[in-house]
Amino acid sequence: MGPEKITPEMFDRLVALAALGLEEGEAVYLREELNHQLAAVKELSEIQVDPDVEEKPHGLDCLGANPRKDEWVAFPNPEKIRALAPEIQDGMIAVPDVAKIGGGAA
Amino acid sequence: MNNYEIVIGLETHIELNTKSKIFCACKASSWNEAPNTNICPVCAGLPGVLPVLNQEAVLKGARLAAAMHAEINPRSIFDRKNYFYPDLPKGYQITQFFEPIGKGGYVDLELPDGGTRHVRINRLHLEEDAGKTKLEAGMRLLDYNRCGVPLVEMVTEPDLRSADEATQYLTQLRQLLRWIGVSEADMEKGHLRCDANVSVRLVGSEKLGTKTEIKNVNSIDSVRQAITIEAKRQIEALEAGNRIESYTLDWDADTGKLRKMRSKETEADYRYFGEPDLLPVILTEVEIQGIQSALPEMPLARKARFVTEYRLSSYDADILTSERSLSDYFEEAVVAYGGEAKTVSNWMMNDLMRLMNSQGKDALSLVLRPQDLAEIIQLVDAGKVNAATGKTLLEKVETTGRKASDIVASEGLGLVSDDGLLRQRIEEVLAEAPNEVTAFKAGKEGLFGWFLGQVMRKMGGKADPKRSREILLELLK
Amino acid sequence: MKFYELNAREIASKVRSGEIKAIEVLEKTLAHIKEVDGQPGVLDGVTLSQEEENKVHAFIEVTESLARQQAEEVDRKVSAGEDPGLLAGVPVSIKDIFCIEGVRTTAASRILSNFYPPYTATTVAKLQAAGALIVGKVNLDEFTFGSSNESSAFQPCPYNPWDPSCAVGGSSGGSAASVAAYEVPLSLGTDTGGSIRQPSAFCGVVGLKPTYGRVSRYGLIAFGSSLDCPGPLARNAGDAALMLQVIAGLDPRDATTTVVEPSDYLAALSQDLRGMRIGFSPDYGHIAYPDFETGEVTYEPLQAEVSRATLDAAEVLARAGAEIVEGVPMPNSRFGIPAYFVISRVEAASNLHRFDGVKYGYHTSKPVKDLNELYRLTRAEGFGNQPKLRILMGMYVSASQHSANYYHKALKVRGMIRNDFVQAFDKNGKYAIDLLMTPSTPTTAFKRKEVFGNTVLMQYSDQMNVCANHAGIPAVTTPAGFDARGLPLGIQFIGPEYREDLVLRAAHGYEQATAEAAWRSRRPVVLAQGKEQA
Repeated sequence: MGPEKITPEMFDRLVALAALGLEEGEAVYLREELNHQLAAVKELSEIQVDPDVEEKPHGLDCLGANPRKDEWVAFPNPEKIRALAPEIQDGMIAVPDVAKIGGGAA
Repeated sequence: MNNYEIVIGLETHIELNTKSKIFCACKASSWNEAPNTNICPVCAGLPGVLPVLNQEAVLKGARLAAAMHAEINPRSIFDRKNYFYPDLPKGYQITQFFEPIGKGGYVDLELPDGGTRHVRINRLHLEEDAGKTKLEAGMRLLDYNRCGVPLVEMVTEPDLRSADEATQYLTQLRQLLRWIGVSEADMEKGHLRCDANVSVRLVGSEKLGTKTEIKNVNSIDSVRQAITIEAKRQIEALEAGNRIESYTLDWDADTGKLRKMRSKETEADYRYFGEPDLLPVILTEVEIQGIQSALPEMPLARKARFVTEYRLSSYDADILTSERSLSDYFEEAVVAYGGEAKTVSNWMMNDLMRLMNSQGKDALSLVLRPQDLAEIIQLVDAGKVNAATGKTLLEKVETTGRKASDIVASEGLGLVSDDGLLRQRIEEVLAEAPNEVTAFKAGKEGLFGWFLGQVMRKMGGKADPKRSREILLELLK
Repeated sequence: MKFYELNAREIASKVRSGEIKAIEVLEKTLAHIKEVDGQPGVLDGVTLSQEEENKVHAFIEVTESLARQQAEEVDRKVSAGEDPGLLAGVPVSIKDIFCIEGVRTTAASRILSNFYPPYTATTVAKLQAAGALIVGKVNLDEFTFGSSNESSAFQPCPYNPWDPSCAVGGSSGGSAASVAAYEVPLSLGTDTGGSIRQPSAFCGVVGLKPTYGRVSRYGLIAFGSSLDCPGPLARNAGDAALMLQVIAGLDPRDATTTVVEPSDYLAALSQDLRGMRIGFSPDYGHIAYPDFETGEVTYEPLQAEVSRATLDAAEVLARAGAEIVEGVPMPNSRFGIPAYFVISRVEAASNLHRFDGVKYGYHTSKPVKDLNELYRLTRAEGFGNQPKLRILMGMYVSASQHSANYYHKALKVRGMIRNDFVQAFDKNGKYAIDLLMTPSTPTTAFKRKEVFGNTVLMQYSDQMNVCANHAGIPAVTTPAGFDARGLPLGIQFIGPEYREDLVLRAAHGYEQATAEAAWRSRRPVVLAQGKEQA
């Protein structure tokens, strides 16, 4: 059995979920590459792995520092962060509103 | 009409009162600050930044779990919840999905009819808060000051059975959060936020009805109102033969109406996966035991103890345990006083709390400490001052910070029981009112109170009433 | 010897002693960069003249004024008798994926083409504190997604200094090229699935991927958060060791950095190779080729010269006293690329969520009717194909209906891959090796445009490298000669976690043992164009 393939419909849904927009040509190319990659991953999805095998979120068991102490240290230049925003109004970052998806009284 | 049962589950978000945010060192509390001033590259979601966990958020979350009789998970994990929304700068929220800090848990509500409602906790986990949005002229304005504030999300099973129970749960929760010191729990400031899941079913039915989710209920009253309205709507719909559709509803406090927001049928796929920038949160056996044993006596237990140990009424015990600091104050005062707890209770519930309210102080910020209150009561008991003076002493100690006995001495507030002086003054009173004396001796016994009053007036209220009575009686014979 | 042939330790030593001034080092460096680098990468590219076809194009931006400030400070310290730092006056190029305050940081993407961070990455700050001269940001595959540097929004992409018609590899292509062309003795790159080692091998330089958590990721624009490792590129193991010494260490801003203290890496180099057990695995002795339709993997022999170089290297090491241990099984290495496809994409898709045109960076100039359209158009216009592909793949394999089969399984497979190494390195195990030695890449550098566009084939060029990333362990590539086309060959040493000292020691030992080899006197063809003075 071949690997599962992403259909154009599935692909369009993925693109919407990813908040992407694609040109026609791009979409064809990307869907094809995606399916090739899924084929390459087929072996991984098919091997039987012992359910007791641990999932490793990191390759090694990280020996990190303890969580930090609860102290307030202000960032010295929040205005530099505000200055990065393309649209700012009275110190607040401005964006268009989300589309309304059906309002109405309950 | 059929008999329906209302089924409610509550989802609360609790802002922890740490000093700094959960994943960065910005201030946790920035109510009323100018927008986007309490931010740093980490909470603003700049490219290349990394979260670093605040230890205190873990400890407070664990403490809350312990207080809710939940099991503290020795190894909890942070996960990413991925979705696009402008108040979420990283495009994902760091939360705990697979292995939360608390497992299980419950709270028992004392119902007015004497029964108990056992409310099970379905989920208790740590997560970061999102920013605030304001709608203005078709635009959304974003303030990231609140991004990264530590939250505990706590969700009950659908175990509540009325709007009143729901409000009772919230009231009790609010008290508990302040009691154990994990949150200021002020709903107006958003420290405690609530969403309500409401469904109805025929009484006796085992199956749950379709639920709707009510969001944006920002006060205890709103919770009660919204649930009541929605339950009524659902019952009417079912009676009319319609289906309940699963919707998220937005509560508009101004109009008192619920508005459909979005259908819950199409739930987002958040693609949860373990947050690779954070390591598992480990609490040792010793640490967990430490957290559990450090839990103070809980409000209901303390209330019950006050009733049995101090023989207070349920009502009084309720008031005195409404805040932990108040109940601590009461007990300290009782110990310092060494007499009837009821006496202390009366003083506190009438005069001291009135003083606290008028000056906007709580038991911790009072200058007048429990020992001071005890001292004042003792002065009154011993007859050194009369009751009225005692009450004014409360405010005088609060304002000056001086010991009550010092104030009495320096202002000459003490009751006069010096026989010589008292006798002299009483003789003066009688000398100044010869007609009344004659009338009294002739049988008008009611005048005795008048004489006493005159003595008090002459002595500026400082005559020892008992001794005054005795001397008057003697001289009027 | 030309000035630019001085290595980092030599420059630091001369500057610290006052023999040369840092500002002089800078002037000479800038002159050489100007001579060989040519047109820097720019958004949307430019048409290149014939002459430009023989330039390196490693840089996106030369940060002359920043470097000048740093050089003046170093010289001031030296004059004042203050310690100017371990890397005093040493020019360093920085892969343009690290944030530097006030310096444009693009990630080679249109979506950050105008981004000036308000903070500096920890690794860069450490380099600066050590007196290094940050001479510029070098090119990379967009967001580090790629293995040839061709996927950059800033064109031209770097050309291989040994043959400009060939790719430099990636994603740290600009880093490798700038070091190989003697523009700088050191570069700061990142390795997520081979992104330091593969381009280093293609360009004939030394490239080290440290242990995961050895070097801070704070300020590194993230790709695969559980895989990303910042690391040094240099022309010899000693310089790589010096740079690692400066950048390694626990960082309170990165919770995944390790409490295990860095060792003295330079001191480690002085130990020889006698008794070192160096393993070979048959599982690294072939090239895996997947079928794009069926997913069936076939195995082909390695490029002959690659095999030859590895075997020759084994002989050299054996003569130097190392024990060669053959037949070490690494049976789960065949899952390396498939697992990488899944894990790295899931993390990448999530890490790229924040690029939405709202808070910083590019946003669409087209009119939008709502927020969702702002997101879609900004990301459509701002991201190149490779980011889009990473995002889509990541979203697919982490979707709730697929994640058990892909993402969660890959996390288990990663453990199995790691276990191969743990068993091989186990002192009480059958093989008990100190290091595993493999070819660095299955082939030498391919021609530009030859593989680009074929994303599976492109990913498979990392097949020798990616397992070390899964296991979190350190690995280094060092040059081992040239193929018949004059392109560099590289050999790789992989060691246990926190043992960068071992891998560097092996690389250094090999270097010493081949110091007189004829091929070591070759220089990249781009230098032959130069009319510079020494």
